Amino acid sequence: MPEATFHVFRGDATGGNLVSYTVPLTEGMVVLDAIHYIQAHLDSTLACRWNCKAAKCGSCSAEVNGRPRLMCKARVDEFKNAPITVRPMKAFPVIKDLVTDVSWNYRVNKQVPPFTPRPDDPGPWTMYSEDVERIFEFRKCIECFLCQDVCHVLREHGGFDRYMGPRFMVRIAALEMHPKDTLSRTDLLKERGGIGFCNITKCCEEVCPEHIHITDNAIIPLKERMADDYFDPWRSILRIFGRKKEPRGT
Amino acid sequence: MVESNQHDIVIIGGGGAGLRAAIAAAEMDPRLDIAIVSKVYPMRSHTVSAEGGAAAVIKENDSVEDHITDTVSGSDWLADQDAVEAFVREAPHEMVQLEHWGCPWSRQPDGRIAVRPFGGMTIERTWFAADKTGFHMLHTLFQTSLKYPTIKRYDEWFATKLLVENGRCQGLTAIEMRTGHVHLIAARAVILSTGGAGRVFPFTTNGAIKTGDGMAMAYRAGVPLKDMEFVQYHPTGLPGSGILITEGARGEGGILVNKDGYRYLQDYGLGPPDPWPRLRAMEMGPRDKVSQAFVKEVQKGRTIKGPYGDVVHLDIRHLGEKKINTHLPFLRELARRYAGIDPVHEPVPVRPVVHYMMGGVHTDLHGATPLPGLYAAGEVACVSINGANRLGSNSLPELLVFGARAGKGAAAFALAHSKVDRAGLAAQGRDEQERIATDFIRKEGGAERIATVRAEMTQTIEAGAGIYRDEASLRETCDRLARLRERFSHIHLDDRSLSFNTELTSALELDFMLDVAEAIAHSALARTESRGSHQRTDHPTRDDERFLRHTMAYRTGGAPRIDYLDVVITRWPPAARVYGR
Repeated sequence: MPEATFHVFRGDATGGNLVSYTVPLTEGMVVLDAIHYIQAHLDSTLACRWNCKAAKCGSCSAEVNGRPRLMCKARVDEFKNAPITVRPMKAFPVIKDLVTDVSWNYRVNKQVPPFTPRPDDPGPWTMYSEDVERIFEFRKCIECFLCQDVCHVLREHGGFDRYMGPRFMVRIAALEMHPKDTLSRTDLLKERGGIGFCNITKCCEEVCPEHIHITDNAIIPLKERMADDYFDPWRSILRIFGRKKEPRGT
Repeated sequence: MVESNQHDIVIIGGGGAGLRAAIAAAEMDPRLDIAIVSKVYPMRSHTVSAEGGAAAVIKENDSVEDHITDTVSGSDWLADQDAVEAFVREAPHEMVQLEHWGCPWSRQPDGRIAVRPFGGMTIERTWFAADKTGFHMLHTLFQTSLKYPTIKRYDEWFATKLLVENGRCQGLTAIEMRTGHVHLIAARAVILSTGGAGRVFPFTTNGAIKTGDGMAMAYRAGVPLKDMEFVQYHPTGLPGSGILITEGARGEGGILVNKDGYRYLQDYGLGPPDPWPRLRAMEMGPRDKVSQAFVKEVQKGRTIKGPYGDVVHLDIRHLGEKKINTHLPFLRELARRYAGIDPVHEPVPVRPVVHYMMGGVHTDLHGATPLPGLYAAGEVACVSINGANRLGSNSLPELLVFGARAGKGAAAFALAHSKVDRAGLAAQGRDEQERIATDFIRKEGGAERIATVRAEMTQTIEAGAGIYRDEASLRETCDRLARLRERFSHIHLDDRSLSFNTELTSALELDFMLDVAEAIAHSALARTESRGSHQRTDHPTRDDERFLRHTMAYRTGGAPRIDYLDVVITRWPPAARVYGR
């Protein structure tokens, strides 16, 4: 039976190192299967998060050969016969082995004002398919936080207090572009959201397992909204008088 | 020392039912202090996996009466008709409410809500949000729950035991996974919303977390598990991985064929095959009958042999690439990635896969269990609206309707019962901490491995209590499960650490699953008839005389005690289930 070597990070917040395991290969195997094989047969103390094994729950994020991936979606055969290295996400503190502390994301999420329709608008609503499908793209996000992991503002520069990261730009886009939402979140984008820190390197788009066009469809239109509200003279006056949304092209 | 917290209401499980319950309780009284205890982070809960949709009467050509009769006949008359009626009447309101919380239901061209056909329904009434309906619902409920400052979350806390003092459920113990500490969480009322137990079986669409924790905790607290013998096999899972191929594929016109390219369902009371597609017929029949037909085809040698056993083919090629891309994009992605098949050009190999537990913790219409202070909603509970077979797209509205009802019920209970017995709870908390330490973390000796016992359990239950069962297979299964329970007491853990000890949580999950498996096998052994998803080859017909009743399994020291409760029949007397015509 063919085999592959996996170098898996073992350790905790105080440090750790790569440990090598030899795992037999099966047809269609993914990296998460190898981790399960290690847990069942070689070392049951190895910790990782996982649940659905179908790329829907966003639990099993890790870095496979240096690239942020869902382990359940990374097929072993795509690496040919090369050794496979599996490390925890680098941007977040390690708890144990492949498990990282992603709680920062949930604290940030609470700072985004929720969906706010008009209070006097009974339903069921009429909304057009194109409008609904546009927000489907943003709402597809499974919160695996791979985009946060790869974002250099967070990963390289530790800008957790300055930029909310691509995940929350997508979240804000889903709210801002919902046809029934009435709130404006451009103040948030400019200040705590830190949208100006994104310089559109598109690394986040490349790692997104849901293929969301994070920069093109979310961040760039949001940057335009923020620029309109703050730097267009007429809109900047409107902004002073209220937070009502203006009809927009984007 | 056990650290302790106290809340008015504690909800175990942060999926759709739990979040809906939390919101309902918070809206009922803003003074109530509510906590959600979940072994996973938000958006990891299994509600994310529901694809096809949620049924509710909204269209002019539909009626409450029709949704009720479809659900009752789908259940093979084992559903309680008062519960079904409440469910059908409240579902549309819940669905519109969700839209107002931001859930993007798919639209028809005039901008109104779109509906699609689903198995066993006489009319199109299934609302959907692309093919990620459960995902969008969970996302909406989670984001909405953040609006209520009174809802606190304990994420990655693993509940181990319900605490009963003075005949009332007054809290639970849970392991904070990050530190490994055992905590006592006292509560005036507790709601279980931990979902199903598909992982008891070897081949399931259910995620790794679906280990029946809530069912087992209630069972251990003396609450009966109802109708556990009714396990739904979804007819179309990908072989090997068990990944679900949505019923929506057949709703769009997909067909099931055997090795001869023959639409075999016409041989099993679901035909004639044409015209196609049409409702309540052939591939749009109820899940129990479609899955049972597969087994008959295997016996006739008319299935296709694959690397993961027998399969049939789901063929959607005739829909064309354009329609597949717009209506079933997720299906195409899954088939390509996990089966290496492009459904535009090739049929998809599928086989039945364990999907849903019709049975669960016994509750009334308000989500209340027989144990005062304990409520349950969602798949963990059995009200019952699903009876012997759930119709596809009824589970999502069920978790909304009964999640809300349980939330309100628990809120009223908490407001009426202010006192908790701190001393007794603290003593129980210490005992539980001691049990986890001595039975697992600090245990010496023992040679049994979790992976081995778990694999034998799943194989045992599938072999003896699968789609078709008989007395001999069930007796064998009951005996083998008893032996596995004994072997579990000799389990050995290598991981003695506290922080994120996933070997420990796996052991506790296996402990829960052994209880659930026992309830399934014994309930199935006692029901000597065939109804819906429970098919006894030695008792092949439905027996309303003796079994128009719910099974109630009570935990004892040995085999469970089996009792029965009459089904509530109001306006729809039992009749034959007729499909195809």
